[in-house]
Amino acid sequence: MAGGYAGKFLRVNLAEGSWSDFTVGDDILRRFIGGSCLAAKLFLDRYPIDADPLSPENPLMIMTGPMVGSGFPGTSRFSVCAKSPQTGIWAESACGGTFGPDLKRAGYDGIVIEGRSHGPVTLTVDDSGVRLSDASTLWGRDIYEVTDELKARDKSAKVLVIGPAGENLARIAAIGNDKGHFSGRAGLGAVMGSKNLKAVVVRGTSAKAARADDEGFKLAMKAAMQEIKDSALAEGLHMMGSDANMDLGMVTGDVPVKNWTSGGEFDLAASLSGPTMREKYLTKAHACTNCPIACKRVVKVDDGPFATAEGPGPEYETCAVFGTMMMNPDLTAVIKANELCNRYGMDTISCGSAVALAMELYEKGEITEDRLGGLDLSWGNMDAVLELVRRMAYREGFGDILADGAVHAARRLGGDAMDAVVHVKGLEAPMHDPRGFHGMGLAYMMSNRGACHLQHFVLATEQGMASWPQLFDMKDDYEGTTSEGKAALVYNSENYGILANSLSICHYVAYSIRPETLRDAFNAITGFGFDFADILSTGMRDWTLKRGFNNLLGITSKDDILPKRAMTALEEGGAAGSVPDTALLLKEYYALRALDERGFPKAEMLDRLGLDELKSRLYQ
Amino acid sequence: MPIKAMTQEWMDAYKAAIQADPEYKGIAKDWEGSVSLVVNPEPARNVPDPIYLFMDYWHGDVGDFVVCDKAKADSAKFVMTGDYARWKQVAYKELDATKALLQGKLKMRGDLPYVVRNIKTVNKVIDILGRVDTLWPDDNK
Repeated sequence: MAGGYAGKFLRVNLAEGSWSDFTVGDDILRRFIGGSCLAAKLFLDRYPIDADPLSPENPLMIMTGPMVGSGFPGTSRFSVCAKSPQTGIWAESACGGTFGPDLKRAGYDGIVIEGRSHGPVTLTVDDSGVRLSDASTLWGRDIYEVTDELKARDKSAKVLVIGPAGENLARIAAIGNDKGHFSGRAGLGAVMGSKNLKAVVVRGTSAKAARADDEGFKLAMKAAMQEIKDSALAEGLHMMGSDANMDLGMVTGDVPVKNWTSGGEFDLAASLSGPTMREKYLTKAHACTNCPIACKRVVKVDDGPFATAEGPGPEYETCAVFGTMMMNPDLTAVIKANELCNRYGMDTISCGSAVALAMELYEKGEITEDRLGGLDLSWGNMDAVLELVRRMAYREGFGDILADGAVHAARRLGGDAMDAVVHVKGLEAPMHDPRGFHGMGLAYMMSNRGACHLQHFVLATEQGMASWPQLFDMKDDYEGTTSEGKAALVYNSENYGILANSLSICHYVAYSIRPETLRDAFNAITGFGFDFADILSTGMRDWTLKRGFNNLLGITSKDDILPKRAMTALEEGGAAGSVPDTALLLKEYYALRALDERGFPKAEMLDRLGLDELKSRLYQ
Repeated sequence: MPIKAMTQEWMDAYKAAIQADPEYKGIAKDWEGSVSLVVNPEPARNVPDPIYLFMDYWHGDVGDFVVCDKAKADSAKFVMTGDYARWKQVAYKELDATKALLQGKLKMRGDLPYVVRNIKTVNKVIDILGRVDTLWPDDNK
């Protein structure tokens, strides 16, 4: 048995009310590691990929990786995976917090949930075993309330909970872990809701995964702690959270403004920035289990129309989508919107993007106040935004149209609404403008869950947060608004970064430590003895497997595009006059990935990566 | 005529360039505090000893710009340290200073959120630095 693994997975069938353990062989673990990569492998081997995402046939997979529970910094994470009800393709959403290590200590590397319960249930996994219990009294209540109640029953329990949005099958619904951590993207909360699964509770204390090399682990651990201590990036994240990006990103053209139509709103950024949050509303920094960075914000707004009790604060993405994207300069309103999304269980990026779309259409007169149920959705009117967010969670009135995200909303609204949505493959882009960073544009086009900044390390390498010339050929500094040389950077940054979600390690920790340190820790835990080439080829296998999954669902080169709005140059700001050269980027990238003209991995690449079964399905 | 880098004459020229910049005063109106640059020695590049540079910035104005000793450099509100080659890369815009800081190629002591908030000021003074006609210790001019 490879080190780092609990050694078994839990399979729960909610329709039958049954469960059993299963194991995965070392050969599979070595090639697919864990987390979302192993989930994709298990999905392809065991489940029908053509099932409706909200049907009982779509499995919900909650997966850790071999580093989880080791105590190594940033390894509290887990990935929730399924076929996405928002995009219809592969979905994965990694989450920090507390759940992963406790699941491992309860003796499991992951949970695969099948079927649909007849009524609302809670799944509990602890040292004494597995239980399904009635959750009727929890159904209909928000994530904070239910989390508090479950923790009142057992204060040491770690919980995953859906809110009203997940119950109402909003295709942008998220899953919350202990209030402040979310598997947000691609609608996995709706998959959980479709199964009538309100919560998953874990409490593990006894199981301990074996380590291959204790001494080697101690050395890697010591190195990681020192590197994090020395890292200005880690220091900045601790002091300002991820919203440190707001000021810097506005200068470089990273921050989208007014539903991606404007740039260079420096005063707006200043009022929404990490330093401002720190000065005015931060009560403390919060860390996921075993993380010395503590990038999470805990905030409180004492008074004013958006007064908010002390609780989890917004990330950069939320500050942008409920701030600059809506022309809202009031950080207290962003904090309140974040709390509402947390309580209702909605992904803030998708929720805010859908609302920003509606604001633009309202300004153009394509949506009237009457249709909005009396809401004045003028730019920056946050009272109306907050009410609309509530209606989305409960699918009331116009909220029902937005509840499935901006792409579904634009389809229902018709006209030229889709021209105002920045998405790839149905997933709204996160708050990093591809016009300011062309490599990110390519990464959006090629990420396997749709437009994404977390399936790779492109954010770090292209924006200069990290430089790893020892791992792959790269320059000290890349200009954002150029496409030359970016395909190779994206390809390599994907092959390394995609492993964050199979090892289950935080991006910020991985950005802050040397690849040698991460490699050594991984090897000390697992005993796999990987060198850099092994690491990168494992990332290639991961990416190609998920690409193949999507190819089987109909994804082709025609889907690898940036939308019209993202290809329309801005007149001001750091990205002024710039759009990615998508033809160049895709041509070079396709060659590196060995994709054919259809966008399918070529047979020789599948052979090289040992993906025989995928090859037989793609080329049958 | 290029001026020898990191000399008092060069510091005077840099100060004059900042004062002459039509945008600087407005961009830096909120900045308060001195900055020192510590240049680590690289004998192979004709920098045999550490060099300390002190610059005083205050609400769009500039005060002392001097080559100094370690004690004076350490007294600055912000102290940035790096190898000579890195500083030259920054001056030539081959390496963005913020990226260099995040990658650990430059080190800073001081209030990081303050720098983030005033990033336009930081970028502006670096931009001006690149305009000073400079003879670097390892240049063959």
